[in-house]
Amino acid sequence: MRPQHLLHQPLTTQKCTLGCPILDRCLGGAIPCNSITELVAESGSGKTQLCLQLSLSSQLPASHGGLSASSLYLHTEFPFPFRRLHQLSTNFRSSHPCNDHDPCDNIFVQGVHTVDQLLDIMPRIESFIKNSKSRLPIRLIVIDSIAALFRSDFENTPGDLKKRSSLFFKISGKLKAMAMGFGLAVVVTNQVVDLVAPDEGINGLKVGNLGCLYSSGRRVCPALGLAWANCVNSRLFLAKDDEFVHQDNQLVNGDGGDFVSRRTRRWIHVVFAPHLPKLSCEFEITRKGIFGVER
Amino acid sequence: MEISRLPISASQRGKLISAGYTSLSSLSSVSSSALASDLRISESEAVEILKVASRGSRLGWSDGTNSVINGAQNAWDMLHEEESLTCITTSCADLDNILGGGINCKEVMEIGGVPGIGKTQLGIQLAVNVQIPREFGGLGGKAIYIDTEGSFMVERALQIAEACVEDMSEYSRFLRNDVQACQVKIQPKDILENIFYFRICSYTEQIALINYLEKFMSEHKDVKLVIVDSITFHFRQDFDDMALRTRVLGGISLKLMKLAKEFSLAVVLLNQVTTKYTDGSFQLTLALGDSWSHSCTNRVILYWNGDERYAYIDKSPSLQSASAPYSVTSRGIRNSAPRKYCSDHQSNV
Repeated sequence: MRPQHLLHQPLTTQKCTLGCPILDRCLGGAIPCNSITELVAESGSGKTQLCLQLSLSSQLPASHGGLSASSLYLHTEFPFPFRRLHQLSTNFRSSHPCNDHDPCDNIFVQGVHTVDQLLDIMPRIESFIKNSKSRLPIRLIVIDSIAALFRSDFENTPGDLKKRSSLFFKISGKLKAMAMGFGLAVVVTNQVVDLVAPDEGINGLKVGNLGCLYSSGRRVCPALGLAWANCVNSRLFLAKDDEFVHQDNQLVNGDGGDFVSRRTRRWIHVVFAPHLPKLSCEFEITRKGIFGVER
Repeated sequence: MEISRLPISASQRGKLISAGYTSLSSLSSVSSSALASDLRISESEAVEILKVASRGSRLGWSDGTNSVINGAQNAWDMLHEEESLTCITTSCADLDNILGGGINCKEVMEIGGVPGIGKTQLGIQLAVNVQIPREFGGLGGKAIYIDTEGSFMVERALQIAEACVEDMSEYSRFLRNDVQACQVKIQPKDILENIFYFRICSYTEQIALINYLEKFMSEHKDVKLVIVDSITFHFRQDFDDMALRTRVLGGISLKLMKLAKEFSLAVVLLNQVTTKYTDGSFQLTLALGDSWSHSCTNRVILYWNGDERYAYIDKSPSLQSASAPYSVTSRGIRNSAPRKYCSDHQSNV
C-alpha cells in the first residue's frame, strides 16, 4: 500500500459542468468526480431535468468544463423521459455544433426495478465501464431515483430499517469504489418526506447547513433518513416556491379584471459538501434546459 | 536508591540492613565473598543480590527512573512527559480551551457528528495544523489521512493550508520586528506534500492498512497525526456477524492505541451518528455500538445548537465535560463568529 501524493494529482478535483456557467460558478465547477452527489427535492422540482442535462454536458471536452465522457443513466421511475432528453439534445447540438454525433448515443439507459436488481447489476456495470467500446469512456453514473427503490419494499420496523440501512452502505460503498477507481461523477436523486411533527426527537434533526428545508411552503426533509445521509459526500437541495403575482391587466385586455399569474421560483441550496460553503442559487427551467439566474 | 526498594526477598533485605548496607552505593564496592561472610549467606546468594543491586543502580543512575521492569514509567515521569508534549491546535481557540490546548499526542480521540457538521473539515484542519513548525508553537510533523468515504477534497485542503500559512506570517509580523525572521518558510504546497493520503474502498483494505501502519510509521518517524475519516463507513455494510465486527474493531482500536504510544502521535477517528432503538423510541448516538464506545478513551461529539456548531466532550479521563462553539469558514475551523455578525451575514444572503 502506498499513499497518494496530493501534489501528483491536479490541485482541484475534476468537476463535471451542469451546462450553465452561472450554476457552475456557484457550485465551484459543479459535480465533483470521485464522490457521490445527491440531489434532493420534491417531485416537479427539476431533479430529472438536471440529471438529463448533466448527462449531455458531461460529453463536453474538459476545456468546456465537461468530462468528454459518456454516461450511464439508471432510472427507477418509469417511463424514462426520452422525449425531453431528445428535446434537450437537439438544443445541445445546436449550441455545440462541433459535435457531429448524436449526443443521445453517448447516454446508456437502464431501468432498475428493485434494490436486488441494482445490487445484481453493480458488477456488470463495473465490467461494462472497464470494457466499454464506446467512443467516449463512461465517467458519469446517474441513479434517478434511489428513494423510489427503497420506499416501497421496506416496513417501518426496527428489523427492516436495519436491513435497509445496511443496504444503503453496501450500495454507497460499491458506488464510491467505482467512482474512485474510474474517476466517475456519481449523482443520485432522492425524494423528500413531509415533516409532520417538527422538532420532536430525531425528526427535527438538523443535517447540514440548512436547519429546515422548505419547498412549496411545506417543511420537508430528505427521504431515507440519517443512515443514507451518511452515505453521500455532497447533498444539494432543489426548492421551489409558487409566487402569485397580481397584475393589473386593464391595459392589455381591457376587461378590467385583475389577472393572477403564478410564477414558480426555484433555488438550489448546498445542504452539505466537503468543498462548498452554505450557499444557494436561483434557477429556472425552460424549454432549453436548466439555467441559473444571476442576482 | 535504597536497599528497601530492591526486588529481593524480605529476609535478605533484613540481613542487608542489619549488617549496615543501607544504600546501593554501599554495595557497589563490596565483593561477593565479603558480602557472603558479612550476611552469613551462601556465596551464590550473595552474587545474586549483587547482580540485582547492580541492575538497579544502572537503571537508577542512567535513566533517572526507579523502574525495575524495563520500559515501565511512573506517573510522575509520565506527567512530566505529557507536559512537555505539544498539542495540535484546532485553530479554534474555544475548542482548544475545552480540549486542554488541542488534540493530545499519544492519545486516540474519537470525534463524531451528523453529516455536514464539519468532521471532515476538522480532519483536514488538523492534518494541516500538525505541520505548523516548532518556532510557531506547532509540532512540525506530518500527517496520515485515511479516507474511507471519499470526502477529502484536495482544493479544500489547499485552501485551509493557504489560510494557515497566511496566519503564520501574520503572527510572525505581529510578534517580531526583525524582517528576516518574518519569513515563513513553509509553503501551502509543502503542507499538501506532507499529508500521506490513503483512499480505502473496503473494510479488508482498512484492516490491512491499519496493520501496515506500524511499518509505514517506522519508516516515517516524523508522522505525528493519523486521521481515519471515517472509521465507520465500511463497517456498516455486509457485517451480519456483529460479534465479529466488535472483535475486528476492538483490534483496530488496540493497534492504533499502541501506535499512538509507541510513536507518540495523535490518532483521530471520525465517526458517524446513528439512531439507537431503545424502549420503543429512537435516540441519537455515535455509530458502531456500545462495545466500541468503551474502546475509545476520548470522545468528542459535534452537534448543532440552533444555527451554531458546538463540540461537546462526551468522555475523557483527564478533561472535564464541557462544550464550546466553533464555526467552519472558508479559511477552515475558527472561533464561532459573534452573534451580531452572524445575523448581519444571514440577512445579506
